[in-house]
This record gives sequence, structure tokens and C-alpha cells, in this order.
Amino acid sequence: MLYFTDKQTQLADIFSRYPHTEQGRRSALMPLLREVQNALGHVPEENIAEIAALIGSTATEVKSVMSFYSTYHTTPTGKWHLQVCATLSCAIAGSDELWDYLVDELGIGAGEVTPDGLFSIQKVECLGSCGTAPMIQVSDVGFSECITRRKMRTQLEQLRAGANYLPDTVVPVFIQDGQQLNALEQKIGGKYSELEPLKF
Amino acid sequence: MPDTLIPPKPITSALDSRFKPSLYARVGIPNSFSLESYQAGGGYQALRRAFAIGNDAVIDEMKKSGLRGRGGAGFPTGLKWSFMPLKDGKQHYVICNADESEPGSFKDRYLMTEDPHQMLEGMIIAGFAMRASMGYIYIRGEYVLAAERVWAAIHDARVAGLLGKNILGSGFDFDLQVHRGAGAYICGEETALMNSLEGLRANPRLKPPFPAQAGIYGLPTTINNVESFCAATQIIRYGWEWYSSMGTEKSKGNKLFQISGPVQRPGVFELPLGATFREMIFDFAGGPLEPIKAIIPGGSSTPMMPWTDTVLDAPMDYESITAQGSMLGTGGLILIPQNYCIVNATWNLVRFYAHESCGKCTPCREGIGGWMVKMYEKLVRGQGKPGDVELILDMSDNIGGKSFCALADACLGPVLSSIKLFRSEYDYLIANGKSQYGGSSRWAD
Repeated sequence: MLYFTDKQTQLADIFSRYPHTEQGRRSALMPLLREVQNALGHVPEENIAEIAALIGSTATEVKSVMSFYSTYHTTPTGKWHLQVCATLSCAIAGSDELWDYLVDELGIGAGEVTPDGLFSIQKVECLGSCGTAPMIQVSDVGFSECITRRKMRTQLEQLRAGANYLPDTVVPVFIQDGQQLNALEQKIGGKYSELEPLKF
Repeated sequence: MPDTLIPPKPITSALDSRFKPSLYARVGIPNSFSLESYQAGGGYQALRRAFAIGNDAVIDEMKKSGLRGRGGAGFPTGLKWSFMPLKDGKQHYVICNADESEPGSFKDRYLMTEDPHQMLEGMIIAGFAMRASMGYIYIRGEYVLAAERVWAAIHDARVAGLLGKNILGSGFDFDLQVHRGAGAYICGEETALMNSLEGLRANPRLKPPFPAQAGIYGLPTTINNVESFCAATQIIRYGWEWYSSMGTEKSKGNKLFQISGPVQRPGVFELPLGATFREMIFDFAGGPLEPIKAIIPGGSSTPMMPWTDTVLDAPMDYESITAQGSMLGTGGLILIPQNYCIVNATWNLVRFYAHESCGKCTPCREGIGGWMVKMYEKLVRGQGKPGDVELILDMSDNIGGKSFCALADACLGPVLSSIKLFRSEYDYLIANGKSQYGGSSRWAD
């Protein structure tokens, strides 16, 4: 099924972000792929051809770009696609054990979907949240950070019960009221609004 | 000589009473990402000042500030800006590299989620200085909240007349767009990023031509890191004298340092360059939770350093860390605990680089993506043989300096340093078929 037929406004918006040239048109490739994947969970063959036609390219070229990145899927994923960061800071904090737990608990491996269609899992590389390791990304919604066994279990239970996924918005910096804190939690430095250039 | 002529001692510690955090000063304030909050704190004053002093003066001020690119390479930002042709009549582009994917680095994400206007202001100033009319913010695909906040910030800025035609009545036109990545480390390399933005596979391009001559769509382009743009905002707001009063002789200003691994308080801290590792690890992060054997000082591609007093007392600036055999990189410290097998830790990073190799050139595709990762898999499985470490060193010799971009060399950082510092762990693993350190049950209940 074609995806963009009845979404001309959205299409126009995406193309308007880039120059109105042949090259500029091609720049819309990644946003278009993301639109389809967010709606369908993956990018089916016919939509690859659809996108190729929209940007004036070929399906082979589009697949060549898709295969370069780790977040595009050509096969269906679960409703909640759990991406476990496996890189060093997370590994030190226990991401291997977290992965094993998910494999045991869900009974699936990488690239598989649970029979109820709810979950799929993937090991990914550094997601830029090393200060809150271990962590996972859930679909294209957001991050779950500082994951403990209990937190993971609760989260799976909630998602199974049909709850909507709420990402964390942890800020792992020790700044309170605009001021950095030292190890003794004493405030140091000054407030932004009071910042003035130093005089010489 | 009268006292007044003696220059004040530079600020090289965040505990110095003269030091005031600026880049992260607003992180943690409720609603810090809104335009109202930003302007209430004096936001967009730097842009007004830039319009008042003129574009050449902005570049001059950036040069004098001594700011070096905060994405990892440390190239002087003002100099980079001055490479842009001034009167070629072509469209110029400014690109913000927000594809933060160096393991151990997570400062830019919070800059974008908590204070996106600071980055936008820096980009508008950069666009003004370099006669650009359009800018793109390349945000890595996984940063969902960051992309949303930056979109919202762009929208608010347009409504307020801070983006678009004739900004603040200055006659300067500039607009910004967000382009989201899709999960590829190599997109942090500037020419690969431009290919990705053009809808191509993100292979790096041959340099020269450099982006300032022929960048995105073949037009003059300058790419800077998120933190560099934020620093530009602060420099233009408070002046280069303020900025260069912090830091060491050749490494000026302040920097966001990140710390992860078993410490009391992992996170991001803003320190002047020249602050010591000890200050960062103990005074700010609260000290380690278990014995540590190695420090990765600036993201995964910087060589490991041993946990010694010499290293802990070394200042964190470009030159001092280079003198210690490593690099400042992105300032992302990773602490490796004593009882975590170093071969396993190195394998983790080798696997990362093997996964992220773009496949363009043979030394990286076959060397890192093929041989190196297989050698390490063999070692961590306990199937290593005597001579394997020598083979790894020999392979490294044939990869180092021979690849198309810096990715393969980046992988050799942890490989060579771990062998140099912890050779006995490799030998033990090869001789006994298993590591002397367990690696399991680190996961908290």
C-alpha cells in the first residue's frame, strides 16, 4: 500500500526543508524513510519503491542507504522495539546481563518478534547516555535509563498490560537552581543571570 | 612592575571562586528549554552584540578567544570560520554536528534538550559571521527528545523574529532546519555527515576540497559541534577576554566533561580546561565506587591511561593529555574497574568500531571490521594462542595511518594502549583460557 498518497501536505513540508534542486530532493530520503517506519514499524518493499520515485532515485539506491544505518528495518518489528545499548559504559554497568534477561523473559533473540507481536529486541551501539547506564531505547519514542532488574520487569509488565510507554528524562548533572554542586553538594560558581564578564 | 600590569592567574579549576559555569548554567532549571526562560536569563543578547560589532569582528573575537572545536579534534574554531570565502556570491551553509555517538560522550544531548536556544543563538551568530543564509542541525536519530526540543525552539525563534528574514532588523536573513540521522557513528565525520544529509550512504569524502570550499551540495560549508556553537554564544556575549581568562596557555576556555563507569555520581560537569582528573573524578563525580585500573579520558577512541597519581594530577587540556600519551577528545571519561577484564573491555570497543566501519577502504573494512574483531572474539572466548598479541600488533601496524578517515586509527587507540598497559591480562587469558576477572552480575536488582 502506498503511504504518501494522501499525505501531500506532509510531503511538501519535508521537501521544503531542502533546496529545490535534484540534490536537495534526494536529501528528503531519510525523513521519508523515518515517516514510513514510524507508522508501520518497518519499511516494506513497495514503500521503498514509492520513496525512490518521490526522490528521483531507484529502489536499489534507497536500499543501499537503508542498509548503511542500523535503525531502518525491512522486516516487521514488535510494537515495542527494545534496543539495548551494548557499548563499554553500559557493558560495565551490566548490559550483557540485561540482554540475557530480556532474551529469557521474552523468549526471543535478536531480530525476532514475540508471538503476541508486542516486543522485539536488538543490541545497538552507544546511544549517548553513558552517565545513566545501563539503558535501552524503546522504538522511536525515547530512552529508559538507569535500568535495574526491577525497573525492567515493571516496565515489561506495564507494556504487556497495554500501558503507553513513557520515556525517562533524566538529567545526570549536578546542577541545582542554575548552580553546579561539588562533591559535598555545596554550591559553587554563580547563577547564569548574575554572570558578568570578569574585569581586568 | 606595578601590580595592575601583572596578568591575573588563569582559571584552571572549577573550585576557583572566579569560575562560573556558562554552558550548562541553565541545565536543571525548570522549563530551561523555553524561549521565555532563555530570554529571561539574558538569551539572544550575544546575537544583538554580534549585529552591533559586525561579522568580521565576530570572527576576530572567535579567533582571539582561543576556542578549539569541542567535537574531539580540537581545531581552532575562529580559524575554521575564517576559511569561508567572503565574497564569492554563493550560498553558504552552517551545519551543527549533533551526531554525538562517541562512546562515553553525552554532553550535547543535554545541551539540546535543556538549552536548545543557546545552540541556535551560536548558529545564527556563526551564520552571520560567515555570510551563510541556511543552517542544518544534524541530530542523531536516537535523540528523539533533543530533536523535538530543537524543532520547538526553531519554531519559537521564527515566531519571535530571531530566525527568518531581516533578523532583529539587522538585514540579515538566516533559517535553520533539523535533519535526523539513523544510527551510524561515521556520520560524526564531517564529510560523511554531508553525504548523509544529501541522502547518500555516509561514506567520508576525499579532502581536499575541504567543506569551506565545497561542502554540502558543493557549496561552502562550515561544520561545528553543538558545544562549540554554545561556546560561541558565550564568547560573543561576554567577550573573548572573559573566555581566555579560563584554561591553560594553549587550551583556552571551559569545557563540558562527562564521566561514566563506577563512580558515585556519573554525569556531565563544566570545568575550565586545565582542571585535573582528580578534581573531576573526586570533587565532582564523588570518587570511584570500586578500585579502578584505567581511565579513558576523552571518548572511546582516545588511548587508555593508567590509574596513577601522575595521571590523576595531570591537567585536562589538549597538550597535557597528549603528553600523557592520550587525547582530550570529547572529554568523555570512562573509568574501567579493576575487576573488569581489559581484553573484554577492548573487545567491546573493537566490536563497536567493526560495526561502525563504513566499508569504504580496505584497511578499515578488512582490518578492523574483519580481522581485528575476529582476533578479539577468539581471545575473549579463551581460544587465544601464544603469538596472537604480536599478530594484533602487526595488524595494527598495517592499519594505522593507512585508512581513508580517522575511524580505523580511533579503534587502535584502545587496542594499542590496553596491550601496552595491561599486557599481563592478555597473557593470562591466553595461557589459562579464561580471564582472571569475572565479568558477571554487575547488573543491579
